[in-house]
Amino acid sequence: MLDILQAVSDGVLFGATYALIGIGFTLVFGVMHKLNLSYAAASVGSAYAGLLVLEVMAGAPAWLVFLCAFAAGGALGYAVYLTCFHFIPLRSPLATLMATVGMLLLIDEVIVHATNGMPQAYPAIFDDVMLRAGAFTLRGDLLLVFGVAVLCMIALMVLLYRTRLGLATRAVSQQSVAAQLCGIRVGQVNAMTFVITGLLGGIAGALIGASVGALSPLLTTPLTVKGLIVTVIGGLGSIPGAIVAGLLVGGFENVLQHFRGVTERDLYVMLLLFAFLVFRPDGLFATKGGRD
Amino acid sequence: MAPLLEVRDLVTAYGKIEALRGVSLAVQEGSITCLLGPNGAGKTTLMFSIAGILRPRRGSIRLGARDITGRAPHVIVAAGIALVPENRLVFANMSVLENLRAGAYQRRGGAEIESDIERLMLRFPRLRERAAQNAGTLSGGEQQMLAVARALMSRPRLLLMDEPSLGLAPLVVEEIFRIIAELHRDGTTILLVEQNAHLALQVAQHFYLIEQGKVSFSGSPGALAEDEVIRRAYLGSAAR
Repeated sequence: MLDILQAVSDGVLFGATYALIGIGFTLVFGVMHKLNLSYAAASVGSAYAGLLVLEVMAGAPAWLVFLCAFAAGGALGYAVYLTCFHFIPLRSPLATLMATVGMLLLIDEVIVHATNGMPQAYPAIFDDVMLRAGAFTLRGDLLLVFGVAVLCMIALMVLLYRTRLGLATRAVSQQSVAAQLCGIRVGQVNAMTFVITGLLGGIAGALIGASVGALSPLLTTPLTVKGLIVTVIGGLGSIPGAIVAGLLVGGFENVLQHFRGVTERDLYVMLLLFAFLVFRPDGLFATKGGRD
Repeated sequence: MAPLLEVRDLVTAYGKIEALRGVSLAVQEGSITCLLGPNGAGKTTLMFSIAGILRPRRGSIRLGARDITGRAPHVIVAAGIALVPENRLVFANMSVLENLRAGAYQRRGGAEIESDIERLMLRFPRLRERAAQNAGTLSGGEQQMLAVARALMSRPRLLLMDEPSLGLAPLVVEEIFRIIAELHRDGTTILLVEQNAHLALQVAQHFYLIEQGKVSFSGSPGALAEDEVIRRAYLGSAAR
């Protein structure tokens, strides 16, 4: 019994990173009604970019690597906006989608090329801390992952609900014509959405690297799939949905890993996705008709 | 006197189909000018072209001395034009207050914005009652008032209104027109699209009739009421 509880809690804590990736997918979809399939790859790419600090400054502290990943995430987000959305006709639904698929593969190739496909060690924080309650333990690094992810979510909510930019972002996502009539520049809001989700992705990538202990190009595909699953389960366009679904998927996969092993667990995650698509296709938090 | 808004030979097209085929009109400062015309005549296309949502292919639009042809919507809002769009298009999942703040998006100075909100709440008491409610929960008439208030939040020199009475109950329509008359009294210049010619006759000083993308009539309310063809099509055959 205790080991199940342990598996759930470890999984839910790590699931916070899935929640962040899910938020990235869902926020862009909410604002532009487009999928950015390169998002998880860009997040991993940003985490790699964080490692560049170690090239310049050997023995740089872990937080500096994180900070660099965060900044790289924002820059990469803007780059993805420019290459996959800004100069590509938005009217054609396939054009931007395929552009982001191309970007996903491009980022993947760049990572493979730069690292010769070898996994890179990632600095961890608090990995020597362990909270114990009898046989039950909470890993310090996972607690940090969870804590930082929650802080990011709170910061995002404050940004969306307490700032002028947030007001504009919500206005564009609900009624882009009316937003334009209010003098809001839709292109600017779209670009900022990519920068903000990019920043979140950089953090998520670094947190994943830190808790796994290494980064590998093999991370991008499963992370893309998990991010999309979280988005679907949470309900496309819903941020609370992505948070809940991220934690849910994290806990779910870890329990199945505990019982069925690491090679079998993703099978069940896919089955969970199909169960949702059949029984609750709009996800947990289907967004009500915000557009009329 | 030079008009506040002057549209000349405006052509706006969707692909190869020209929805506006050379429209010219003028709106005098301080007046209510009304645009009549059947569905599909190009009235909404004209409104969107003036507001910058659609880019005209040819022709010109001037606001006062300034040429605003083909400029982006945010530039046109800054120049002093606000559009109350057809079907209201309120931000359904945002509160009434947030809708109003979005309307003031380009303005700086929170205190002045808040005092404008306060002033509008006096004019639209229903909006005060529902200030914290999501706009999507409002009735059609309340949403229309919100859309008007939101447009006024940018402090426009020219207010464009696209069928504000559409789909509303007669009593609510009367209220909307009372508000239009009030805005006029306060000196707001209004270009109004309205299907209900009887109501428009009560408030407007000048009329344009648009048919198939062209202006087919321009004149005073008196001239409009005297025109046999228009009377039959828009006022019903019975003389009132």
